[in-house]
Amino acid sequence: MTPEDRVKIKRLPTGVPGLDEILGGGLPEFSFNIIAGAPGSGKTTLAHQFMFANATPERPALYFTVLGEPGLKMLRYQQQYSFFDASKLNKAIRFVNLSQTLQDHGLAGIFKEIAKQLEGANPSIVVVDSFRTVVRNVLENEVQIQGFVQNLGLLLTSCEATTFLIGEYVDSELRDNPVFTVADGLFWLYQYVERNSVIRKLQVMKLRGQASVPGLHTFRITDAGLQAFSRTLGLSGRKHKPAGAKRLSMGIPELDEMLGGGIPEGDSLLIAGSSGTGKSLLATQFIAAGIREGQPGIVAVFEERPEEYATRADSFGLDLNTPLKDGNLKVIYLRPLDLSVDETMQEILDAIRQTGAKRLVIDSLAGFEMALAPGFRTDFRESLYRMIYSLTGIGVTILSTVEMEESFTELLFSTYSISFLTDDIIRLRYVEIDGQLRKVLMVVKMRRGPHSNDIREYEITSTGVAIGQRLVGYDHLITGIPRRVELPPTGGSL
Amino acid sequence: MPAVFCVSEKLRRPLSTLAGVSGFRLLLARALTLAKAQDARLGGVQVNQDGSLEGLGGGDQDAEASVLLIAQLLELLVTFIGEGLVMNLLLDSWPNVVGINSSEKKDHDPRR
Repeated sequence: MTPEDRVKIKRLPTGVPGLDEILGGGLPEFSFNIIAGAPGSGKTTLAHQFMFANATPERPALYFTVLGEPGLKMLRYQQQYSFFDASKLNKAIRFVNLSQTLQDHGLAGIFKEIAKQLEGANPSIVVVDSFRTVVRNVLENEVQIQGFVQNLGLLLTSCEATTFLIGEYVDSELRDNPVFTVADGLFWLYQYVERNSVIRKLQVMKLRGQASVPGLHTFRITDAGLQAFSRTLGLSGRKHKPAGAKRLSMGIPELDEMLGGGIPEGDSLLIAGSSGTGKSLLATQFIAAGIREGQPGIVAVFEERPEEYATRADSFGLDLNTPLKDGNLKVIYLRPLDLSVDETMQEILDAIRQTGAKRLVIDSLAGFEMALAPGFRTDFRESLYRMIYSLTGIGVTILSTVEMEESFTELLFSTYSISFLTDDIIRLRYVEIDGQLRKVLMVVKMRRGPHSNDIREYEITSTGVAIGQRLVGYDHLITGIPRRVELPPTGGSL
Repeated sequence: MPAVFCVSEKLRRPLSTLAGVSGFRLLLARALTLAKAQDARLGGVQVNQDGSLEGLGGGDQDAEASVLLIAQLLELLVTFIGEGLVMNLLLDSWPNVVGINSSEKKDHDPRR
């Protein structure tokens, strides 16, 4: 059989931002799907988004409710979502309540009524809500229930419609419930409470005919309904850009020189240092240098508000207000405390797409971690790895800052054991010299080339970071408590 | 048949489909309770198991009281699902009635 001979399966948009990508392009037309999850996990809303995105008056959606949420109540709450289009009601989308049928005629009556409605309406979408509750509550024997499930599954499969059963299943039912065998797609929605935060995740446990993205994906329910965030950020299929020879300026010529000509484009640079050492200022100078060179930038800040960020830059003579107005710079402020990395990433990616950004600053990783829901913090390193790998793969150069606890006995290069995530590391630290607290910086790591080995003193001036000369005449500089050493005489008269 | 029965019967089908037979019956029973509190002439009216009405006469005065019942029903619906969806439902049942269209929604008074 040639590829041309194969049946073409149309993929329908789910109406849920981010979900089509997770599904591998959308939901297969005419598939029979199960949406499972605990109460309040978003099952009904997911089905509604799909209906509103696809149903037409010619090929409507039929939504059967049996023992679940009463129809009027469902409409009362679902119309609060922005995707809800009242003009589609009773035309493109029809709700049918079967609770009386169940009471009067049992499962056989339900089956008969659904079959009758399908025949009459010629729907393109069929949803049977609260299906699990029906099966749990009817006083019929196990064989009859299984027979009903099987027949309904077959009916829905054969009706030339994309169909859904919605139910409050538990994980253990996966093993012995035949309906899961019949289904083409199985979507499980989870919600957990982690300390004070709620985390929602979804998993595509099964989807016939196409490659979905495996694993648990974060989703959020907002006024617009569900929004899903793929673990791979939609970048998994993209070709990684080969590392180029181009170097990006940090906006400080002496620092560019120490870096061997600047940061290699598409690298991830970490600036580590304790409080007040100028990490954020270096990051701002990096962004401002990019703007001057026509490279749009994104700054993700977690510890100060966008307007404060621009004002602070202004005090160093760095104009960020103009690029902010022009759209060449976007400052993203994220601090809801229950974010997932994927969600944050989605926001950053959207901003990159909007601005065509080449430079990204994450200020700081500690703030980023704090903004995440506690449950996501355990996966922070893994998520960070995915994020950095994905973004540098599309040619974005990333500068992250990380706060370091100052030690005067050793030199730590970075916390979180994240140095393996970064291509380049600049370390800033305090040293005590002649009764003064002075600042030094050093390039610790450059993955793609040689760099300066100097430890140079620097100052924070009104125009930014000013880098001085290599500190000579001392040893143990990296401990923070250097010792003066006698320098060999450089010359003199005999 | 009194006009209120016709109106109620016409609404019964789409609302029973949407809310279930018992859902519609309970809604109508609530509307009747509220209307009875305002007009004693509705004292003999009752809602049957299937959501149909019985017990209302055909005189002018009864017709006036029955309008109150329908107004209460519509008000309840507006409270639960909003004016927009109620107008859509009415438009489906009475597509040719002047006054039920989207441009006039803002001025809509369920007692009219």
